[in-house]
Parts: sequence; structure tokens; C-alpha cells
Amino acid sequence: MCVEFQGTQVKDVIIKPDAPSTLLLEKHADYIAAYGSKKDDYEYTLSEYLRMSGIYWGLTVMDLMGELPRMNQQEIVDFIKACQHECGGISASIGHDPHLLYTLSAVQILCLYDSVDAIDVDKVVEYVKGLQQEDGSFAGDKWGEIDTRFSFCAVATLALLGKMDTINVDKAVEFVLSCMNFDGGFGCRPGSESHAGQIYCCTGFLSLTGQLHQLNADLLGWWLCERQLPSGGLNGRPEKLPDVCYSWWVLASLKIIGRIRWIDKDKLRKFILACQDEETGGFADRPGDMVDPFHTLFGVAGLSLLGDEQIKPVNPVLCMPEDVLQRIGLQPDLLTVLDLPPQCVQHEIFPVLPSNEMAFQTASSSLCALFSSYRIKFLSVLC
Amino acid sequence: MHGRVKIKTTAQQEEEKRKEREKKLKIYVAARDACFSKRNEGIWDDEALQLTQQLLSSNPDFATLWNYRREILMHLETVKDKDEVQKIYEAELSFTESCLKVNPKSYGSWHHRGWVSARLPRPDWARELTLCDRCLSLDDRNFHCWDYRRMVVKMSGVPVDQELAFTDRLIGSNFSNYSSWHYRSTLLPLLHPESPEPPSPCREPPQSSPPPSPQTHSHRVCEEQLLKEYELVQNAFFTDPNDQSAWFYYRWLLGRAEREEMISCVYVNRDEERVAVAFSRPVNAQSVGLFLVLDGQPQRVEWRSVHPRFKQSPVWICNLPPGTISDITNERNLTVHWTEKHTHRDCALYTGRTESWCRDSATDQELFRSELSVEKTSVLQSELQSVKQLQELEPLNKLDSMRSAYYSDLCSKFMIENTILKMEYAEVRVFSISDKNLTTLCHLDQLLLVTHINLSSNHLQRLPPQFAMLQCLEVLEADNNAIENLEGVYHLPKLEEVLLKNNKISTLADLQTLASCPKLKRLDLRGNPVTQTANVESELAELLPSVTDLLL
Repeated sequence: MCVEFQGTQVKDVIIKPDAPSTLLLEKHADYIAAYGSKKDDYEYTLSEYLRMSGIYWGLTVMDLMGELPRMNQQEIVDFIKACQHECGGISASIGHDPHLLYTLSAVQILCLYDSVDAIDVDKVVEYVKGLQQEDGSFAGDKWGEIDTRFSFCAVATLALLGKMDTINVDKAVEFVLSCMNFDGGFGCRPGSESHAGQIYCCTGFLSLTGQLHQLNADLLGWWLCERQLPSGGLNGRPEKLPDVCYSWWVLASLKIIGRIRWIDKDKLRKFILACQDEETGGFADRPGDMVDPFHTLFGVAGLSLLGDEQIKPVNPVLCMPEDVLQRIGLQPDLLTVLDLPPQCVQHEIFPVLPSNEMAFQTASSSLCALFSSYRIKFLSVLC
Repeated sequence: MHGRVKIKTTAQQEEEKRKEREKKLKIYVAARDACFSKRNEGIWDDEALQLTQQLLSSNPDFATLWNYRREILMHLETVKDKDEVQKIYEAELSFTESCLKVNPKSYGSWHHRGWVSARLPRPDWARELTLCDRCLSLDDRNFHCWDYRRMVVKMSGVPVDQELAFTDRLIGSNFSNYSSWHYRSTLLPLLHPESPEPPSPCREPPQSSPPPSPQTHSHRVCEEQLLKEYELVQNAFFTDPNDQSAWFYYRWLLGRAEREEMISCVYVNRDEERVAVAFSRPVNAQSVGLFLVLDGQPQRVEWRSVHPRFKQSPVWICNLPPGTISDITNERNLTVHWTEKHTHRDCALYTGRTESWCRDSATDQELFRSELSVEKTSVLQSELQSVKQLQELEPLNKLDSMRSAYYSDLCSKFMIENTILKMEYAEVRVFSISDKNLTTLCHLDQLLLVTHINLSSNHLQRLPPQFAMLQCLEVLEADNNAIENLEGVYHLPKLEEVLLKNNKISTLADLQTLASCPKLKRLDLRGNPVTQTANVESELAELLPSVTDLLL
């Protein structure tokens, strides 16, 4: 891996010529299948606080690769049962405290296994409902941390269980919209900076609540497509390094708002493939780094969104195989799809330049967006 | 999980590492188990605080342990006096600070610190602000710290102009300052609102409840301040052309005003006894209190979206009971009420006229352009000058080829806007963009009245569901594109001609929607893969019986 700093140049990585360039699905399946058995591993133990999500990442990527049967369904379902607390919430692992994050992961896992009745569904719904605040936001647990991630967790959990009508959806929407920023993106709380992870949660939320039309899709789409760096990888916000997990957060968001073709798919695919570890299997955050199940899922899911036919289609809102959602009967809204690249990319692109005062005024504010992009590129070429 | 470089090691190094990790693991597991068993026994003592401290120092994301600590602290509040509690919580602040030094991006550490600060008998917000200053000086993109700072500012009433000055300092000193520009965008509307009587802004902290609507529009900022911001932003991108932040901010400054919520058009037609209503934004007509009054009599009608895929649509239609308005010798007066927004629109249907409409055009609504002051105009004029020079050098799609599709779509949008305005100016109902590299369609809600549309020789791949908003369409010309999907050609009651020569329609299923258009007479499918289908002529005769003029 090589991180390049050229004075004040764009932070990015350089993909080595010998980086992996083909999809090594079998190695990834072996990596994930073996991961759960590493119970005496230091990192594994330290990450116990997120185990339920870890299991969700592993199982989902195995299912996307058609390898779910290799995992131990009964053991996992029993584990989930043992993690449901009296309040209805579900914890990351046995002995840990319940939280919305792990409640969602658990419900997602049970949907993969069509075993939602293994837990007390009504209690889960009660737990989620109880976390909604007066302003429509959701706390992650009884300790009160507010974050739009939790708004997503809440509606996603309820949508999977078919119980969205138990919360105040209008208020929940109002809160999420109050987190919309000047750049069309979303942060954790009102006033928080836009971040691709939060944007994914909020666009997913708006999809599940039928409110995608409240987005400024062109503005947000621009912010999202500007995440793509020269290496082809995507970062999470301006001036940050690319990371394979953003191949999910950013790409899924673009898919939800119907602008996935604003990304250069070939270059992104090349970056994702370069993040594979040929030796151990799995994906790392960037080429040459250590792999983990989190980045493995999002690398594979990203490739699925890009159209790789060796991987099952993945739903961009819930990050679960589409066939699972079809079985449940859940089809979240997506904005009009513009997802195929135009046939011809070589033509000259230039706006119809206004020739008189009125026409100038007409186009001025909207054209500036184009001009601005243009000027960045021009000036960076000059420097 | 992020940024861990894979380093190659020898077998011996591997073994040494393994032994060390095994040792670390043993210690960790012992402490964790001790913690959990104490908690299970309901013990809230000093040892528990020490154990959790030990574990959280190296693993601050272990949320359950922060929970346990809070339980212990809350218990101590009940058994210690106020001064002791103050000391305990101050020690807690020191502990979280040491955690933050190790990992400044742990949600758990920041949340705990916030929780502690709120419970301190005597909170020291100045100290908290200093912590934020220090943390931001190390990494001014740390959003955890920014969010914490915003909380401190709110709790302690730091004046908005002071925070604005803080952003000035940060922006002036460092290129990686998107977070500062973002913060500015939230502060400006508070300090320099566009309304004529600004509140006393200087001592007013940011609102304590979330603002009622998104802070997305620069038009919430008064013009004088906006112009100052243009200068600031231009300084920024001349000082550091590679910093992207200023450009995103610039786009916001130049953005469009929020649209007034209204019914922009009511169209009525005697032939189908149909009423079409266009709104300034997508709505769900079934839930916004939309109702129709004809000559003073409320009408019971069922509103439907132009396409089943849209539960929220800018255009809704309904049919009046047969015979209601079919008699062309009667003048009828229609009013559509949008009760939720306390607005309505009238439309008079005159004697001898088959159809009628009433609308505020895109021009009237200043949809695509707004009245600009002299100052703003001069800023934009100089931008235009620079671009005219730049355009001679290299096309945008070469300079930034990764985003070619974005630029094509953006360009298409501008062309569509210009064409709509020209069409309105000429007072015609013909929309034509031909041979202009159009890659996408938008603003279709502005084409409700269009009778003829010409989109030939472009790069369109589909006529999306929104196309069904062209409720008056009679002729559709879209030869020489790459169209494979006709979803939007749906229940267009007046559509007679569809010209799709040289496209990518490949199956009969793709043509299914055309069957919903009862007046379709002429269909040109030459040069489409579907023409190679077996028995295509007879299949189409069955699918589209009204078509008498079929070109294959």
C-alpha cells in the first residue's frame, strides 16, 4: 500500500501493478468459514462488543456468495436467543447490554435464516418503540446517545418485522430531515458534518419511510460521486483516504437515489479487487492492509451493486440478499434508476452557453455547479 | 479495523507475536470475566471502577463497560456528598481524556464524557471548550469532537459570532477544513438571517431543539453577508486550489431559493372529463386534503398518481363523473383546494373550448433562475468569463473522466431547463431537444401541457415512470436513442404517435405499457431488436389493436 502526499494534493492510495485483479470468492468463503472458530484469538475476543454485527457481516457475505450452508445455523440462532434481554432489546454477545445496533443485526440474521420467531418479536418492537424521543430521534439504548444511525436501525428492524406503524414515523422523518446539511448530506445529529456512513443510514431511512423525494438527489449525488479518488476507490468525506467499506456506504446511497452511474464503475471495481488478500482471503480497507469480515462484506456487496454476476444481487437499503427480502415481501423505494453507463462517453461536454442577459440569468446559479467542478480540475492541472 | 498495515514476518517472529498475544489475551479475559461476575452480583465498588478502567483504556468501544461505570457512578451519587461527587466526576473526566488521547474517535468515550459533564454538580464548560480546541488542533476533521463542541456551546451559551470567528481562524490556517466550512453554514443563518428584523443574534446560542426544516439554502442568509462569503470562498480556492471544501461551500452559496409550496397548474379536458393537477413538489394527494369544487359544488373524485410506482408525485389526476363537463356549451368553473397548505387554484373552462388550464409557468415561479442583485450578477458574470476562457483548453469529460456521466446528466438538465423556458416564452406546447447528447430526463412535471415532444438523436436509455406526467402528449418522437424501457408511456390518453426508430426495444414485454394508451395509431419500431421476434406483427396486432400504422 502506498499513501501519497504530494504537498497539498489529494490524499489517495496507489494500486500496485501486482495487486489482485480477479475475484477470489472461494478464498473469501474459506476465510469467513474459519473466522468463527478463532475463539482464542486476541482480536476476536476484543471485538466481542460487536459480535452480533460481526456474525451478520459474516453470514451475509456467505449468503451473497451462495455459501451460507457452511455456517452453523443452530448455534447462531441459540446465541441470538441468549442475547435477548428482558426489555426486548438484543445485545452483541452474552452478558453484554442490549442496543439498537445489535438488535438490528440479530433481526437481519434471523431473516437470513427465516427464523424470526426464535425471539420474542413483540418485545423487540416494544424495545425499539421505547427508544424514540420526543423530537422523533432514536437513542441507541437507555443511556441516551442520539444518532441518525439509530433512526435507521429502528426503522430497518421494524420494516423487517413488518411493524413500522408502531413508531411515530412522521416525527422520525422530521428529525432525520433536520440533519440535512448545506451539501445535501447528513450527519449524526442536527448540525453534524456530512459523512458517507450517516448518509447511507439516512437515505436508507428515507427509503424505508417513503420519503426519498425530500432529498436533493442531484446535490447529494454530486457530493457522493466526488468521493471517488484517482485510484478509483471511494472515501467517506472530503480529504480522506479511500476505504473499501465506502464502496458500500457511498455506492448503496447512490443506488438508492438513482445515480449510481455517476461513479466510474470499472475503476471502483479495480480498487475493490485490489483490497483482497490473495494469501488469507478476505478484504482489507485498502490494498495491503489486514483483512477483516467487515470489509469483506462491504467489498463483496459493493461488487454486487456494480453488477458482478458471480455474486447474488444485494439490496442497497438493507444490505441483505434481494432473495431474502423478496421472501419477506419487503421492497424499499429507490429513486428513478440511472444505473447504466451512457453508450457514448467520448462526446464533447459543454453547456449551452448563454448568449444574452436573460439567458445568462436563467442558467447562472445552476451552471455554477458545473463551472465549479470545472475550475477544480483546471486549477489542479495547472498546479 | 482500519489502517492496519499487513507486515511480513518470519516464522520465529510469528511465534513470538503469538505468545505475546496469548499472554495479553489471558490478562484481558481475566479482567473481563471479573468485571462481568461483579456486575452480575450487583457490586458497585472501587475495584469494579478499576477493572473497567483497565479494560476501557485499551478497548474504549466496549460499550457495556461504560454502562457499568455509569451505574457505579450513579450509585456513588446517592451515597457521597456533593463535593465528593464533584471530585469523582472530575476524575472521570480525566479518565475519559486519557481514553480520548489513545483513541480520539471512540463514540463510547465521547458519549460518556458528555454524560459526565451533564451530571457534574459544577460543570466547567470553559474547560470542555479548551479540550475541544486541543483536540481540533490535532485533527480538525474529528466529527466526534465537533459534535461535542456544539453540545458544549449549546449548554454554555457561547455566542454565535464567537464560534463564527473560530471557524475563520481554522479556515485561515489549514487546508483540510471542510468541517469548519460546514459549521459556518450552520452559524450564518443564525447570525445573519435574511429576514428584515434579525433577532439579537450575538448572544443567542444555537437553538435548543432541532430546526424545523433542513438548513440547506443559502437564501436564509442575508445578501450582504452572502457577498462577503463569496469573497472568503474565492480567497480560499485561490490560496489552495486543491482544497475541495471551498467548492462545495461555493455551490451552496450560489444555490437556488426554496420553492413556494403551491399548486402550479390545473388542467381540465372535456373529452376524458379528466383533471390534472401539478404541485410545486411531490405530494401524496390522498393525504394532503386535496379536493375539487366545480361551480361551487364539491366533487367526489378519486385522485390517482400518474404512475403506480409513485406514491409521492408532483402530478395527480382524477376523472369527473361521466357527463359532468362534457357539454361544450356550458362554461364551468373549477377550483382545486390544497387544504394542508391553505392554497388553491381556479380554472375556468369556457364555452366552446375542449380543454383549459391555469398555471404559473416555470418562468413565473423563477424555477430555473432567480432575480439577482447587481452584485450577485457581477460575481456570476466573472465566473462566466473564466469559464469561457477555460472552455478553449480542454473539455470537462477529459479533465475529470471518472465523472463523465455526472457532467452529461448535469448538462442535460440545463438544456432541458433552457428549452422549457424558451417554450414558455414562445407560448407553444412543443418541446424539442434533438441531437444534443441528452443522457437523462428531468423536470417532466413542467411538461404537463406539452402535446409534441421530440427527443430524437440523443443518448436516452429509458422513458421513466415520470414520463407519465405528460398528460397532454399526442406525438412522441424519440428515434435514434438507446431506449429499452418505456415504463413512463403509461395511460397517456391523447397519445397517437410513437416514433422509436433505432432504439433498443428488445422484447414484446417492453411494449406492454403502450397498450394503456387507447388512441395510439402510429408506431415506428424500425431498427429495434424486437422486430426480429417471431410473429412480431401478429403479436403486436393483438397487444395494440388501435395501432393501424405499424412500421417494422
